[in-house]
Amino acid sequence: MTVPAQKPARKLSMKQRYSALTHDLNWTPTYVPEAEAFPYTTFEGIKIHDWSKWEDPFRLTVDAYCKYQAEKDRRLYAVLDSFAQSQGQLGLSDGSYLNAMKLFLQGIASEEYQAHRNFAYLARYLNGPGPRFAALCQSLDELRHAQTEIHALSHYNKHFTGFHDWKKMHDRVWYLSVPKSFFDDAVTAGPFEFLIAIGFSFEYLLTNLLFVPFMSGAAFNGDLPTMTFGFSAQSDESRHMTLGLEAIKFMLEQDEDNVPIVQEWLDKWFWRGYRLLALVAAMMDYFLPKRVMSWKESFELYFEQQMLGGLFPDLAYYGIRPPRHVEQAIEEKEILSHQAFWILYQFSHAAAFQTTVPDAAAQEWLTSAYPETFPKLYQPLFEKAQEVMDGGGRFFNMGLPQLCQVCQIPMGFTEPGDPTTICQRHSIFKGERYDMCSDGCKWIFDREPEKYVQAWLPVHQIYQGNCGGPTIPDVLAWYGMQPDDGGDYLGSADHQAWTAWHATAAKEG
Amino acid sequence: MGVRAIVDTYEYPSRSAQENYGDDLLVHVWWQDNLWFCSAGCFRVPQAMAWGDFLSGVVYPWASGDPDFDPATVHDWVLDDAPLEASEGKTLAELGVGHKSLLEFRAPSRTGREALVG
Repeated sequence: MTVPAQKPARKLSMKQRYSALTHDLNWTPTYVPEAEAFPYTTFEGIKIHDWSKWEDPFRLTVDAYCKYQAEKDRRLYAVLDSFAQSQGQLGLSDGSYLNAMKLFLQGIASEEYQAHRNFAYLARYLNGPGPRFAALCQSLDELRHAQTEIHALSHYNKHFTGFHDWKKMHDRVWYLSVPKSFFDDAVTAGPFEFLIAIGFSFEYLLTNLLFVPFMSGAAFNGDLPTMTFGFSAQSDESRHMTLGLEAIKFMLEQDEDNVPIVQEWLDKWFWRGYRLLALVAAMMDYFLPKRVMSWKESFELYFEQQMLGGLFPDLAYYGIRPPRHVEQAIEEKEILSHQAFWILYQFSHAAAFQTTVPDAAAQEWLTSAYPETFPKLYQPLFEKAQEVMDGGGRFFNMGLPQLCQVCQIPMGFTEPGDPTTICQRHSIFKGERYDMCSDGCKWIFDREPEKYVQAWLPVHQIYQGNCGGPTIPDVLAWYGMQPDDGGDYLGSADHQAWTAWHATAAKEG
Repeated sequence: MGVRAIVDTYEYPSRSAQENYGDDLLVHVWWQDNLWFCSAGCFRVPQAMAWGDFLSGVVYPWASGDPDFDPATVHDWVLDDAPLEASEGKTLAELGVGHKSLLEFRAPSRTGREALVG
């Protein structure tokens, strides 16, 4: 009798390996009750009956993840090296372009890190093995994104102002308290609210409005490092979008009682995210020497068409309606970028980026993109600002602005239906008055006043003496800023250096 | 509805409460109908400051950032939604100005509502 030779064990398929990694490695603890092992998944009121119903459409494994990401990193770092060696910064559309990237580095890199930390927490504290592993992958992604963004932009720090001390600035500077407080709000919420706040609202609903403008802006303006970073992050982002959508559907399908809770989070985080994007709107319409598309077009395409037209009809099946106050965001698409830029323009003396009056070609573009609002409402501001410049001055607001208690942006947004009257809302809580910039921010405050009374508002902190001293130079020093970081772009150190490099190149060429 | 939290009582002090400012107040000053200043200004001022000193020492220096500003044209003061008739000698406290009160005024400017949209 002959024994047939044993065939070598077949390699497991990707699907089997995923299952072995997640479900097979999972066990039900017997030494502690489940509520003790996973103590944070009940207090928010979300009811989950069956964690195994969480479907991860990607079914990634550790080896596949590492192999794929390592390949992308190799490509990215090769581009960064060659850009640095060939003095690629000289090929940018204009030196002023980098002001957009200063805002990106100061405002976004630290938030990637915040997202990394909270997804790591979810990777430990969600009850189901599927969502835990998905959160682990996203946690690693976010950490890599923080690192690769910092590396991609580090070359510019050798040649331009505003790229140093971005981490200190993020924790201290007035306009960076806008993204910081947004993420602080999210990471201090429970795990399910975080999944709706960041996983769904930020990474699904609004992500294209954030990333596409920055990355296309980079591509249009000769910024190869940022563009390559964008490509490198893109495949992760589409995985995050899928995870965000899976998270909301999972919660909605698990119990009908979850629907009103999720709806309120959606209402809150849509408006929080939308207000944060005011900075992106200003960047798109005013910071890019070569413009990609207007904020208005971008909002119509990525939000009105794709989300309101595509996503929300699907979510209606679960009893979810479009977010509260969305009609105000739609109305604001004509005015948002101008109002946000006008804030940044007049406080540029206290910023680590520079602004200037849009030149004639830029004003022409703004007029064609916003024919109803720019010529009538905003061009006169720039004409007057130019007059001040022509007289040898530069208009900087010499006061400190009134800030919104929720979004922390200076209260420069206007009343629905009236773009010439600033929108003032306030609430009284335990005898103290709190001011808000909009119906959306007021609704958020009134829902959880105990949370927002703790807001670290930069203006109030300056007046309490907690920001280095009473004068603007004291505060700027405490912010980690250097004298050349802010102000008007024309005549700035960056502008002078840029002009000198190109004059030399022209002579040599 | 309050904050759903992992603690039973979720209560923390306001970071902007008046007691953080000694005898002073934060007040917001809003040049109504003028787009030049992106928002109302926020100022820390003593409660015992006279209205006249507040105008000449706080409001006018800030408002003169608009090249069209003329102190003689300032009119229609409003304090927390109610018209304010202020005499220069009265203190802010006497006028009823509170912590984070909103003071509004009107004055002509080429970037004012009337000039822009009529």
